[in-house]
Amino acid sequence: MRGERLVKLGAIAGGAALVVVLGFTMTDYHQYQGGIVAYYLIAILGLNILTGYTGQISLGNGAFMAVGGYTTAILCGHHGWPELATIPVAAAVAGAAGFLFGIPALRLAGPYLALATFAIAVAVPSLAKRFDHFTGGSSGITLPIHTGHYLYWASWICAGIGYVVAWLVLRGRTGRAFRAVRDSEVAAVSSGVNLASYKTLAFGISAAYAGVAGALLAIGAAYTNPDTFPVTLSLYLLIGAVVGGLGSLWGVIFGALFIEYLPIYAQKTYFGFAFSKQAPSVVYGLVLILIMLVAPTGIVGLARRLRRSI
Amino acid sequence: MGKRIYALAAALGVALAVLVGVSAGAGGTPGVTSKLISIGGTFPLSGPASSYGTIPQAESAYFSYFNSLKQPGGKRGVYGRQIQFTYLDDGYNPAQTVQLTRQLVEQSKVFAIFNSLGTEPDEAIRAYLNQAKIPQALVATGASEWGTLAKKYPWTIGYQPTYVSEAYAYGQFIVKKVPQAKIGVLYQNDSYGKDYIAGLKKGLGSKQNQIVDMEGYEVTAADVGSQIAKLKASGANTLCIFATPKFSIQAFAIAAKLGWNPIVFNNSVSATPTLMTIATGASTPATTNGTITATYLKDPTDARWANDAGMKLYRKIMAAYYPKGNVNDQFNVYGMSAAWTMVKALEAAGPNPTRASLMAALRSMNYSDNPFLLPGIKVQTSASNPFPIQQQQLTRWTDGKFVNFGPLIKG
Amino acid sequence: MQQFLQQVVSGLASGGVYASLALALVLIYRSTEVINFAQGEMATFTTYVAWQLIDWGVPFWVAFFATLAFAFVFGVAIERVVIRPFEHGPVLTVVIVTIGLLVLLNGLDGWIWGAEIKSFHSAFPTRPIDIGGVAFSLQDIGVIAVSLLAVFLLWLFFRYTKVGLAMRAAAVNPDSARLTGVRVGWMLALGWGLASMLGALSGLMIAPVVFLDPNMMQVVLIYAFAAAVLGGLQSPAGAVVGGLLLGVMLNLLGTYVHPVTPELRLPVALLVLLIVLLVKPSGLFGRAVVRKV
Repeated sequence: MRGERLVKLGAIAGGAALVVVLGFTMTDYHQYQGGIVAYYLIAILGLNILTGYTGQISLGNGAFMAVGGYTTAILCGHHGWPELATIPVAAAVAGAAGFLFGIPALRLAGPYLALATFAIAVAVPSLAKRFDHFTGGSSGITLPIHTGHYLYWASWICAGIGYVVAWLVLRGRTGRAFRAVRDSEVAAVSSGVNLASYKTLAFGISAAYAGVAGALLAIGAAYTNPDTFPVTLSLYLLIGAVVGGLGSLWGVIFGALFIEYLPIYAQKTYFGFAFSKQAPSVVYGLVLILIMLVAPTGIVGLARRLRRSI
Repeated sequence: MGKRIYALAAALGVALAVLVGVSAGAGGTPGVTSKLISIGGTFPLSGPASSYGTIPQAESAYFSYFNSLKQPGGKRGVYGRQIQFTYLDDGYNPAQTVQLTRQLVEQSKVFAIFNSLGTEPDEAIRAYLNQAKIPQALVATGASEWGTLAKKYPWTIGYQPTYVSEAYAYGQFIVKKVPQAKIGVLYQNDSYGKDYIAGLKKGLGSKQNQIVDMEGYEVTAADVGSQIAKLKASGANTLCIFATPKFSIQAFAIAAKLGWNPIVFNNSVSATPTLMTIATGASTPATTNGTITATYLKDPTDARWANDAGMKLYRKIMAAYYPKGNVNDQFNVYGMSAAWTMVKALEAAGPNPTRASLMAALRSMNYSDNPFLLPGIKVQTSASNPFPIQQQQLTRWTDGKFVNFGPLIKG
Repeated sequence: MQQFLQQVVSGLASGGVYASLALALVLIYRSTEVINFAQGEMATFTTYVAWQLIDWGVPFWVAFFATLAFAFVFGVAIERVVIRPFEHGPVLTVVIVTIGLLVLLNGLDGWIWGAEIKSFHSAFPTRPIDIGGVAFSLQDIGVIAVSLLAVFLLWLFFRYTKVGLAMRAAAVNPDSARLTGVRVGWMLALGWGLASMLGALSGLMIAPVVFLDPNMMQVVLIYAFAAAVLGGLQSPAGAVVGGLLLGVMLNLLGTYVHPVTPELRLPVALLVLLIVLLVKPSGLFGRAVVRKV
């Protein structure tokens, strides 16, 4: 067992070293993309805690990203706050929103919860337009521009913190309670787990992560408007979480890489053959279904199965 | 976990590092080599605004055609440089627009951004491009801010007549020719719709109080039945439709259903001949007959241009380079007119173009021979005029086609 | 008063549109306990098939019924090939697969047929009728009538046919049903086939009103979900009533309650969905499901 632990630590150290090295050697544009991967990673991490570890389906984490993103945009664009200082605030505001949503959501399960969270994801852009006094309506809010390097470091440092926090939360009592809720609510209650508090906590944590991701999205794009947080964002987060592997922290990076790079590669021309520009959607859909068929526990699950079969 | 994960991480790292590499220092003007000029733009090829996706394809066709022509001096292209046009899909999501534009600029190293489509997507990249001193040329939206903010964003320039100037023309026409008008307005609740309203009010001047009702709708609306019913109930006898194609067609259909027959002003975005034909089918000929809009492009379905050199060229290029495209879709004429203008500006930027020289060329245009625009319409800019096309002509949908009337109006 | 009646009538017209898609949603949920996020896209895809047939010169009514037949086969095929592997798995997996379908079909529509708006011939005449200053068209009545007819036929089918009985049994208690010889797997496929047909019907009726483009059903789907939940996810009659009610309510709120501006129509519908889910998840017409521990 000790050997395995060393290897795990080695992998983490290697990953961290890689992130640092790339942060000094990649081109600015690739660092910009790397920053985007990092904030997708943060959002998927949060979603994984909610869906993978606590078993609550959410199709609405994009909405919590919007809450965080607009918090940052309003504080920074309208009130002149420094961008990085807005990130904790975005986390707090989004976390509170998630927690509040978690309370009525206690009564919902499975597909009903999926539907309710889907409804939020759809409603948020319209709400952002309605309250245009705060949000700038469809014209949105502009923020100061930064280099890809800036986004890369801001996002990866937040991602690192997010990983550590997730690991600490999940290994302790809270994590065990989350897993108990996921595996059997009935059993969890009978062993003394307070369903209500852990479920709402899971929502709150997940939303806080999404809020940080949204804040970084706003900072990276230097612009927010209702169209920057469409429904598809929520769907892609779920796709990323599933592709990486729910219930495991290792796979999240793969999920984030997948949703960032797939649309880009699907639009390119390969040896003279170009997919139609509609291709990303077709590929996403196909890949999603195939992955559920072949590797429903995601890339991590696949890796585990391969390892076991050897 | 086994040594596998460790090895995997290491291999991934090496692969990544090899793939992305370190940027090579580039000398000279980005996007310009002795053989190529590279330009790029973002367009909504998927998602709700995807019907505009035909525009970059028409532009690409025009550039391909131009690249094939032998210029005086024997070379092909602009001073011997072929134009390479890359267009990417941003799905109308400004965050994607930012990412893709950075990709075009920093990775593909384009010389200029051309005809990026959408008010909000272009707003999102404006500050970045201006900071980097990269031309944001011939922006594809009718928002007026591209001209009014020219001092603040000198590297950004629009192209088509603004929504404000178009609605201004309607307002002026109403004051002169429809003095008894009681005006109802259907508008999309964003800057596009609101720009139109601003122009209409400006054109009406002191007669603004003739607007009896304004009903807005969201892009996410399923239909505008409720709004049209309210407008009819307000007693309006003139209807201004400041709505995108789908909702504009619906407005006609619902008006027909309600037995309402106002004088209609339809915004040019939704009033191409193809769309008006669909609208007529969805409502009745009586409802759409007499609809007035403004236009600056030649209509590919108008028999008047059957022997016109410009439209012959259009059809030739479509057949040769974009056969899948719909020849009757005026969006394609739009695209080619913009591409034509861009080529002229690239030529005017000189044999050793720089981004600054391109921008200077864009701000001193004086072309009266754009083959795809109505005769007499100029593409003209100067130090005091940041709006390339300002003239339009009113045209009336009569018995299934558009008939232009009146003088060219300057908005 | 006339304004009120007109808004009610327009609301019923829009509501008819939501109701027809809501019916398809309810049918799938009732027979397989799956909330099919791809329902709207399946309907759009089959409507495109109809358009293609008409474009190739097939007469309208032939294309209409051919499309319904295709939709049935399409639905059965999707259930057998795409959904079946996940039937016994966790709910989340099926949800994700239907989302995958949604994304796939949406992209496929654009890829095959392009993204420009296409007009679509209506099955009903669009001539306006005016009664007492309130106007509507035969098309509106037609849409509502077809939905009601579909509900009636479904009721007959479930109540009085052997196959319908078998489907109900398969949905309520698959294991017992299997013991009595019901081919549960094929009952589920049948449910999807029927729902797909209903979706196609809804698409064929909606396309003339909102015009055919790849995103035609996206917004309607949301309203259809709200309608289905409002009426009760298990109740076909509820779906239709829910749709009509939703349409009227949105119009009246939009006309008479001033803070409800256009941007809020969609959020209001979603609020209705949320409130129903929280207060009475079984909807107006559903029966409460008791979870036995």
